[in-house]
Amino acid sequence: MGAEHASTEAGPRGDVAVLGAHTTPFASAFPGSIAELVLGAVEQALAAAGVDWTDIDAVVTASVDLFDGLTASNIAVTEVVGAVHKPETRIAADGLAAAIHAIHQIRAEAYETVLVVAHGKASMSDHWGLTAWTVDPVFLQPLGVDALVCAGLQAALVARGDQAALRRWADVTAARIRSAGGTLTPEAVLESPEVATPIRASMVAPLGDGACAVVLGAERAARGGRRVVVTATSHDIDLHHPGVRDLSTWEGLRRACDRAYAAAGIGESTSAFNVVEPSCMFPHEEELFLAAARIDAVTSPTGGLFAGTAPVISGLTRLVEAARAIGGHPGHRALAHGTWGPAGQAHAVAVLESR
Amino acid sequence: MRPVAVLGTGQTDHASSRPDVSQPELVREAVTAALEDADVSPREIDAVVISNMELFEGRAFPELWVAEGAFAARKPCYKVATGGTSGTSACIAGFHLAGSGSFDTVVVVGFEKHSEGHTQTGMSLTDPFWDRAVASGALGNFALSISEYMAERGATPEQAARVAVKARRNAARNPHAHLKMPDLTVDDVLVSRMLAEPLHLLDMCPQSDGAAAIVVTSDEAAGRRGRGAAWVHAAVTRHDQPYLGDLDRRMVTMEAMRDAARAAYADAGIQSPRRDLDVAEIYEPASYAELAWYEALGFCEDGEAGRLVEQGVTEMEGELPVNPSGGVLSTNPVGATGVIRVAEAAAQLLGRAGDRQVPGSRTALATGYGVYAWSDVIVLGVARP
Repeated sequence: MGAEHASTEAGPRGDVAVLGAHTTPFASAFPGSIAELVLGAVEQALAAAGVDWTDIDAVVTASVDLFDGLTASNIAVTEVVGAVHKPETRIAADGLAAAIHAIHQIRAEAYETVLVVAHGKASMSDHWGLTAWTVDPVFLQPLGVDALVCAGLQAALVARGDQAALRRWADVTAARIRSAGGTLTPEAVLESPEVATPIRASMVAPLGDGACAVVLGAERAARGGRRVVVTATSHDIDLHHPGVRDLSTWEGLRRACDRAYAAAGIGESTSAFNVVEPSCMFPHEEELFLAAARIDAVTSPTGGLFAGTAPVISGLTRLVEAARAIGGHPGHRALAHGTWGPAGQAHAVAVLESR
Repeated sequence: MRPVAVLGTGQTDHASSRPDVSQPELVREAVTAALEDADVSPREIDAVVISNMELFEGRAFPELWVAEGAFAARKPCYKVATGGTSGTSACIAGFHLAGSGSFDTVVVVGFEKHSEGHTQTGMSLTDPFWDRAVASGALGNFALSISEYMAERGATPEQAARVAVKARRNAARNPHAHLKMPDLTVDDVLVSRMLAEPLHLLDMCPQSDGAAAIVVTSDEAAGRRGRGAAWVHAAVTRHDQPYLGDLDRRMVTMEAMRDAARAAYADAGIQSPRRDLDVAEIYEPASYAELAWYEALGFCEDGEAGRLVEQGVTEMEGELPVNPSGGVLSTNPVGATGVIRVAEAAAQLLGRAGDRQVPGSRTALATGYGVYAWSDVIVLGVARP
């Protein structure tokens, strides 16, 4: 048990397959309710999996009450995720953590097929302002600290003594925007206003409204020969205060990757990943991600979160993109990542394999 | 589900306000007590599940702040929140993690510090178009649905008051309880301030500051321990319609709870709950709710709950003691309340329930309940399933 048994996160109970998934198209302001947004994702995920409501044994949702302005925000989606008279639970964290919970439910043989649904609707609120309520209310919140401020502190530490950092981040941002189908020059990135020194406005991934739904099932439930399975997962929560963490690294992600890689039996040979989908809202986070995950380069075909994302859904959308990218390529591996909390306090990772 | 067991439990002392501790310190108290009870050290914890209704304190991701209090730092940890059932849902989440093969030892801790927030506000942010104006918070919608229940099933204010008295008298045996009222009488309840017809002040649960924790282990790890185990025989969740108007005669029908109980009893091999259960810790936010739950949980026929109370069947010395801890009517830190139900049920089976011990308990029930009729039904037993 404990640290010395970190490798127990192996999959002795068999792997879990991604049976179907859907992410709603990025919308800066979706012109409907949360329920309407979520229903679109769920219906298409069920269709992609070739299952109907009666095939779903249980539902895991991900949402955050304060971001939605709702008491028990899964009440808003109970009907549209098909949870009436079914087992449902809500993980109030990044959507990938909800998927990890569903994977453990399946491996515990509590359920065979589980629907995972995350939603976030940033258009309804000042999202970055609300993140002030995620930090310690005694010492940090009164100082006006929020997640954007913490990202700025972290970026400043990463860039310390590195004159080329800002230009490099501008290049990365422009490249991700191009991958996502947009146009943005590095010069335009550098000329955009500073939002949290040294972060420029254009270095923040666009945040809007979205929902993401994934149908997970015991591997034996996967229909057809080819499938993508999750072979290992891990998650980690670090110390809270930015002052007691080394903000120049994502140590929590390093621990989560250590556990997941060991469980997946891939040790240090992380070049085995054909696709890597990190949840990075800023270009400096890609550098933190690569160092912690011990990966040479991000190989996200879609531009990652710079194609636009929504609160809470990001990590689950990375799972969906990773599964899509390696599907049909037997032997290919992917890494999906989610994070929540200021300056990357909490992380979730999943190792996927195409069979 | 694969076999998992509860090895230990811990609680804070619950009160209307705990100004002596911060939220992380409150959590630390409960987790430390649970680890000591289970004879498990902090370094042996593999994963942590936290339960809390964040809007009651007006926060988001409260686990980021309190994780260190739960010995969760640098470990797998996330938060479960499902309204009133948060605590029982978090326990079930802990059961699933311990049964998954990934973790040997999982800590589940629930907490709420109502004194640092505004609970009515936190409960009022329901659907803004249909439910917010008419049925937000616990009082209004309980008053409506309890009136229906009384009309249809014939339950009386005196019978409900007996439930309220039983709870506060039992709480006097529980050193952790918030409302200890050993001398409370039925008349005291009936003359207490009317909040919303038919609910008097003493018919309702309090708001408490408090935390509760359990230590859950995998089948393999439970076998390596020597302090006893309360095994999970069933853990069933059922949610229901998200609009109060769509829940037909909620307290009368209680479809989600009845469905969950049927499934749980089938999993646990319980044929007659009144006969086969030795003790029950049920989530009764109002005195009348306990009557309705007796019927939904199959302790008696529909319409017979009042008589059950009058006959003393659910008193400490009765055939099926219900809420020896004093229940939700005596202690209610919402994020912890469901964990308290499971912890109290487990403590009964472990023989470590102190003055509120029901002698010889071998099978125990714990339930969770949320305003929209969401229900968790958990059966624990001393025998490995």
